[in-house]
Amino acid sequence: MSLSRIAGFRIAGISTTVPPTIAENADCAEQFGAVEVRKVMAMAGVRQRRVAAADVTSVDLCFEAAVALIDKLGWERDSITGLIFVTQSPDYFLPSSSCVLHQRLGLGSDCAAFDVGLGCSGYPYGMYLAATMLRAGGQQRILLLHGETPSKFIATEDHTTTLLFGDAGSATALESSAHAPESFFALHTDGTGAEQLIIRGGGFRDRTPTDPRHRHLEMDGAAIFNFTVKRVPALIEETLAFAGLAVRDIDSYVFHQSNRFIMLHIAKKCGLPEDRVPLILEHYGNSGGPSVPLTLTQSINQSRATRAAHGKADLPLRVMMLGYGVGLSWGSVLTEIDNDVLIIHTDYIGQQKVN
Amino acid sequence: MTIEPKTQLLTLPQALKMIADALNEPVDAVHPERTRESMVGWDSMGVLMLTAELDDRFGVELAADDSRKMQSVNDILEFLRAKKLMQD
Repeated sequence: MSLSRIAGFRIAGISTTVPPTIAENADCAEQFGAVEVRKVMAMAGVRQRRVAAADVTSVDLCFEAAVALIDKLGWERDSITGLIFVTQSPDYFLPSSSCVLHQRLGLGSDCAAFDVGLGCSGYPYGMYLAATMLRAGGQQRILLLHGETPSKFIATEDHTTTLLFGDAGSATALESSAHAPESFFALHTDGTGAEQLIIRGGGFRDRTPTDPRHRHLEMDGAAIFNFTVKRVPALIEETLAFAGLAVRDIDSYVFHQSNRFIMLHIAKKCGLPEDRVPLILEHYGNSGGPSVPLTLTQSINQSRATRAAHGKADLPLRVMMLGYGVGLSWGSVLTEIDNDVLIIHTDYIGQQKVN
Repeated sequence: MTIEPKTQLLTLPQALKMIADALNEPVDAVHPERTRESMVGWDSMGVLMLTAELDDRFGVELAADDSRKMQSVNDILEFLRAKKLMQD
């Protein structure tokens, strides 16, 4: 079992940044055929995607998300003792992109910084790492940055992935808080499915692939569907049981936005109320793991309104966040988001450094 | 929270209707001899629909490898019989 309960930390703010360029799937009818495009839109639920320019990376998106968050929180740069950057689209093999971000954000040398190479499950894993670091002592404030540019992974002739993926960056501020309640984490892995979502070339197994398909994402959709349907309902059930809660006790189930059809199938299977499963695929597509914080910034006002309608306006929002996919890797975090947590969402403008 | 699989066995017409609905084909055009390549709806989306239907109705997994080997409607019917979901 990889189940943990961790108290003594809180989320201070969540910030997301997306590229300003909107790609309309309907405009791809000439390239892929109108019928195919309509089918993907109907099933995956994606109408628009935010697509990063050629010279914009996940580091850039996360940088702007982080600057907005740090400035609004009024955090002194030297008070940040940890920076975790979760991505599968780093700027370089080395150095770690976290070090690049550390420099651009102007953080001090009393700061641990490292990358984590996880994809769709990255947000619960990143939050688990931040929580354990804060709990271990010696850390007071941590920036969890999670960004991906999946639109750069895909082969442009593959309509199933081209029409699905968008790009996003996020920054989450976490800090020690003596009276914060327990959060609950469940983390899992099944490496036997490693080839079901894979970019085969470019790494040190095959630095310069001769087969052009090996430079891009290969996805076995049917296998991923079976993985999701088998693992995610069990993950939800396990997390609820571990926390001693029932389905109705959770205000919002924030899924990695993989595919509308699959998400609705899982929600129905688990008996989750539709108004507690926010969907943002229509406007942002699947942005990998950062789709979890992006869903939070896009849906938190609605979730708070729904909770207020149930007479619980003064209580923190109780949220279960679910990441699942490439690895295969999946995980959850069940936590509370206070009413004063800072929520920011911006379009990318191209800031280069902190002034 | 766990959904109990439904255990009533499918008749041949019921199985053909389920396949037709999943693959978005007219029900009267779906018969055991129809081949995969002759059915426009039997693409990656159709496979997902059929996989979801089997999970939803019976709690049965159609593995990606099994699904790839299927080349005719009869292959799907054989799968249903092997899983004891359909009358012989």
